[in-house]
Amino acid sequence: MHRPSAWLSTRRSVLAAGTAGLAAATLSRGAHAGDVAKPGGTLVVVLDPEPAGLVAGISISAPAVAVSSNIFDGLVVLDEAFAPRPQLAESWETSPDGLSITFRLRKDVSWHDGRPFTSADVQYSLMEVTKKTHPRGNAVFANLTAVETPDPHTSVFRFSRPSPVVWAALEGTETQILPRHLYEGTNPIANPWTAKPIGTGAFVFKEWVRGDRIVLERNPNYWDKGRPLLDRIVFRTIRDAGSRTATLEAGEAQYGAMNPVSLADTERLRGSADLTVETRGFEGSAPMYFFDFNMRRKPFDDIRVRQAFAHAIDRTALARTIWYGLAEPATGPIPNYQKAFYNPDTPQYAFDPKKAEALLDEAGLKRGPGGVRLRIDHIPCAYGDDYIRAAEFYRQALKRIGVELRVRTFDLPTYLRVIFTDYDFDTHSAWYSAYPDPQIGVQRRYWSQAIKKGTPSSNASQVADPDLDRVIEAIQVAGDPAERNALIRRFQSVAQEKLPSINLLELKFFRVYAKNLDGISFAPFGGYQSFKTVSTSA
Amino acid sequence: MTVVPLTKATRVATLLSGRKRARRPSSSFLRRLLRNRSAAFGGAVLIAAALAAVFAGAIFDADPLDMVGRPYTWPFTDRLHPLGTDMLGRDILVGLVYAARVSLTVGFAAAALSTILGVSLGVLAGYFGGWTDGLISRLTEVFQTMPPLILAVVVVTVLSPSVGSIACGIGIASWPQIARIVRAETLRLRDSEFVQAAVSVGEGHLRIVTGHILPNALPQIVVTGSILVASAILTEAALAFLGLGDPNEISWGSMIGAGREAMRTAWYMTALPGLAITAVVLSLNLLADGLNDVLNPRAGNG
Amino acid sequence: MRKPLPVAGSSRALRYLGLRCLQAVPTVIAIAVLNFFFLRLAPGDLVDTMAGEAGAATPEYMAMLRQLYGLDQPVWTQFLHYLSRLAHLNLGYSFRNSTTVLDLILSRLPNTALLMLSSLAVALVGGVALGTIGARWRGRWPDALISAISTVGFATPLFWIGLMLIVLFSVHLRWLPAGGMTDVEGGRTGLPYLLDVARHLVLPVFSLAVFYVTIYARMTRSAVLEVRELDFVRTARAKGLAPRKVMSRHVLRNALLPIVTMTGLQFGTLLSGSVVIETVFAWPGMGRLAFDAVFQRDLNLLLGVLLFSSCLVVVSNLCTDLLYSVLDPRIEVR
Repeated sequence: MHRPSAWLSTRRSVLAAGTAGLAAATLSRGAHAGDVAKPGGTLVVVLDPEPAGLVAGISISAPAVAVSSNIFDGLVVLDEAFAPRPQLAESWETSPDGLSITFRLRKDVSWHDGRPFTSADVQYSLMEVTKKTHPRGNAVFANLTAVETPDPHTSVFRFSRPSPVVWAALEGTETQILPRHLYEGTNPIANPWTAKPIGTGAFVFKEWVRGDRIVLERNPNYWDKGRPLLDRIVFRTIRDAGSRTATLEAGEAQYGAMNPVSLADTERLRGSADLTVETRGFEGSAPMYFFDFNMRRKPFDDIRVRQAFAHAIDRTALARTIWYGLAEPATGPIPNYQKAFYNPDTPQYAFDPKKAEALLDEAGLKRGPGGVRLRIDHIPCAYGDDYIRAAEFYRQALKRIGVELRVRTFDLPTYLRVIFTDYDFDTHSAWYSAYPDPQIGVQRRYWSQAIKKGTPSSNASQVADPDLDRVIEAIQVAGDPAERNALIRRFQSVAQEKLPSINLLELKFFRVYAKNLDGISFAPFGGYQSFKTVSTSA
Repeated sequence: MTVVPLTKATRVATLLSGRKRARRPSSSFLRRLLRNRSAAFGGAVLIAAALAAVFAGAIFDADPLDMVGRPYTWPFTDRLHPLGTDMLGRDILVGLVYAARVSLTVGFAAAALSTILGVSLGVLAGYFGGWTDGLISRLTEVFQTMPPLILAVVVVTVLSPSVGSIACGIGIASWPQIARIVRAETLRLRDSEFVQAAVSVGEGHLRIVTGHILPNALPQIVVTGSILVASAILTEAALAFLGLGDPNEISWGSMIGAGREAMRTAWYMTALPGLAITAVVLSLNLLADGLNDVLNPRAGNG
Repeated sequence: MRKPLPVAGSSRALRYLGLRCLQAVPTVIAIAVLNFFFLRLAPGDLVDTMAGEAGAATPEYMAMLRQLYGLDQPVWTQFLHYLSRLAHLNLGYSFRNSTTVLDLILSRLPNTALLMLSSLAVALVGGVALGTIGARWRGRWPDALISAISTVGFATPLFWIGLMLIVLFSVHLRWLPAGGMTDVEGGRTGLPYLLDVARHLVLPVFSLAVFYVTIYARMTRSAVLEVRELDFVRTARAKGLAPRKVMSRHVLRNALLPIVTMTGLQFGTLLSGSVVIETVFAWPGMGRLAFDAVFQRDLNLLLGVLLFSSCLVVVSNLCTDLLYSVLDPRIEVR
């Protein structure tokens, strides 16, 4: 049997039916010994911002995923070791040449409107929705040529080339299976069912009061018997971080999804008797925070200048002061917890302002009047005040080595235009998701083909390096996992050596929830997954 | 926070009371202003704030954005940082003094912009009447019907946040009020005997406007203008709270904006710049009241 | 700008009304034109925002969205489409919210109206009472105290008051909810529902009212002082009427006139007055809707809200004028 990817190597890729419940149980380690899970009740979740639609498979965004993973299922779900476990697919086999995957689907599944779930839904979802209207589906499933439906409960994925990368995207948090009978013949994005979704998931959509709440109710006919435990989930949209903290502290909400409170508040909440600050559950999205140079501008074409910047920034202090410890210095573009890929042995740039100054001197950038060597701008990503504060940190750090940084901030759409369309910046700091496979999330920062004008989260630094390109392109066509992993390790060394971008921190996103909640998932996508195993303890 | 209320309050009060007021400010204007307690107090605080703003560099020879101390030092616990430090270890006292620059600059620049716009358009509309009035009145109406804060947000977004664009946004959002007041004043003055006399001796439009109408409308403009400064400072704070501040400059609004995230842990970071704003805005209002009392003696002392 | 109101004859009043409505048409069109082009000056569009929120996108995906939203058309074509939609009273569709703009506005309008009207009512009652007391004891300590407190209230940033109230009443004392409009449990109807909303209304209304109370208190005070000196009041006093009666029957009644105008004008600011408070208290209202629309470049929605609010202002100004002429035919407002 062919193993599609290294992180599957610990698992057999065919799993017996009926282990789903077991898998779910292993995913949820929240239960305290002695407590009895109490079925029923309402869970109130604070959410921000309000999603554009409730089908993440169509209009994906973090809040859309957090809501819709309760309404829709995926074919598989990743466990804590990044290995796929059954969800709508009971089992699967990969052909020895890696050109097809056969999924055997669950037979007892129906849509919330009562229609049966079949392989036609899988075919439609992958070929018409994911490949056409998912922002990255087109790229990840580029080699998927067809989904065949030999019978209602079998789907065969046909690939033009082996594509181990798809396993990282088959989760319900990324690729959702939608009801063909409601979407066929329409443009999914403009389909009215996107605002009142019908899924196969553990919860049924009840109402969406825009600007206020989204209400889901227990699906009594859910295929995973005994689930879900909760009667209702209410997602409340609260725009102000201070108000979200107050709502959680007052006990009016019991769960805050992705980074619900300000970093400053986490420090206090970590000492709270009622609330938990949990950083596990985001290893799948794997936010990597970096400092980019505009490689087409001088003097950043000089590697000594880039190295000097890397030596000038104290990443440990950055993690401690700006992120209140909710981050770790990164050693490369891939986070250390993605064990299968991570390379611990890459070139590093320790905090050393003296060395930084020496490098700048060497590069011909001497201190001028007022001790200034260089005046440049810096644009932090428009995802919140933390990143602006980090920019202030760089300004102070670089001032010490004679570099004057002018910080420019914008709202989100302007920021995206300035960075990804106009490329109008000297330096830029942001985070990208690395995702469970670097081919999805990491290569886009380093590959010359990822310089795509007008496309957010593409190669903004415009690095085009033949060595980097060579190793990245080799990863894409590697079918053998061992060979592929070796290439990924090499890629990390090249990336650190060429240094088109300083890998600053592995950010730790977090959830805040009431201590009396059980069954919280800590899987790689746990931060976004369904609440079907969650309950309040007695 | 909008500029509408007090301006209109003043306006209505003036309409009710100020029609027969003295045409020219008395020569003892300054003395009377100083005798007015609220005006004297307001003026004193303002002058202190302005001095702090101008001489910030001489008082503290430091960059207010430098991280100089241990983060989260509470006020009155560290002699080196008497008012404490913020989450990045920046000295709050130094910040407050330097921030006065930006806050006052934004306040006065925005008020100046809206006063210039409002006075010119108001005088044009009131003096010439006819289709000029009709056109300007429609324009005023268009701007006035747009929610001022949203309008300011859009302007700042279009120009991207900086001290200049924030002042510009606030100025553009608040000129209609002063235009209305000036137009009404001009209409009233245009029909007055002395303007009619000037017309009859053949004085030009420009001379009539600058020599007769504007000087007589001045008290009203000054009072309204000082209130505009106050509300511009408040609006700047509101914009900063909503995340639209200049990242390279420190203002009281941006200090509140930064402190808001740590509001529950370290409320002093929000409270201190909040107090600075309250003090200055209060002084401006007191000064406006005093000016109104002195310039419009019949309006009672309210 | 206000025009002198003709008062005699209902047919003239009607004609006046018609004229004003006719005058409002170019205003509304001007607002539409101005907003349409002005908002387009902001860099980035809805597709950028949505791709940014998604965390990644392919150029093909973005091109597909632009085509779907009509953003690939030339600006003039878009503008003509917009005008023709408006002519059919169609405000368009908000792709960011997956629903029609009209639905969004109608679902938020009552919430904002409730918040603002409650605040205005509280401020009106409180302000008139305080202003009257101030005028009655003019120059003595109650006057000084009231004016000091109200001036400080006016000078303090709204959001700061709101945040402090949350910290005190929701987090520490746990007396009142921190935000939202109804309890999350929901499902209430009838009286329990109303009580629930009322509980959520207390803090935001109080925060907003602090601001408006000052205005009304000041206006009432100066108007009362002014009216007190007028001839008919002197006459009433000379006739030997009790001071309290003079105050309530003659002074206050006439002093209320400018306050009516003021309230009418405030109606117009209904939509924008509350962006900050809606943000602090997670109140699902119009102000926040418009604010978010700016940052999401949801132009259909923003244009809809601004147009709607402009119409509201035009109508409320008109009503104020009419009301004013009904209440006091003597006073001509320009």
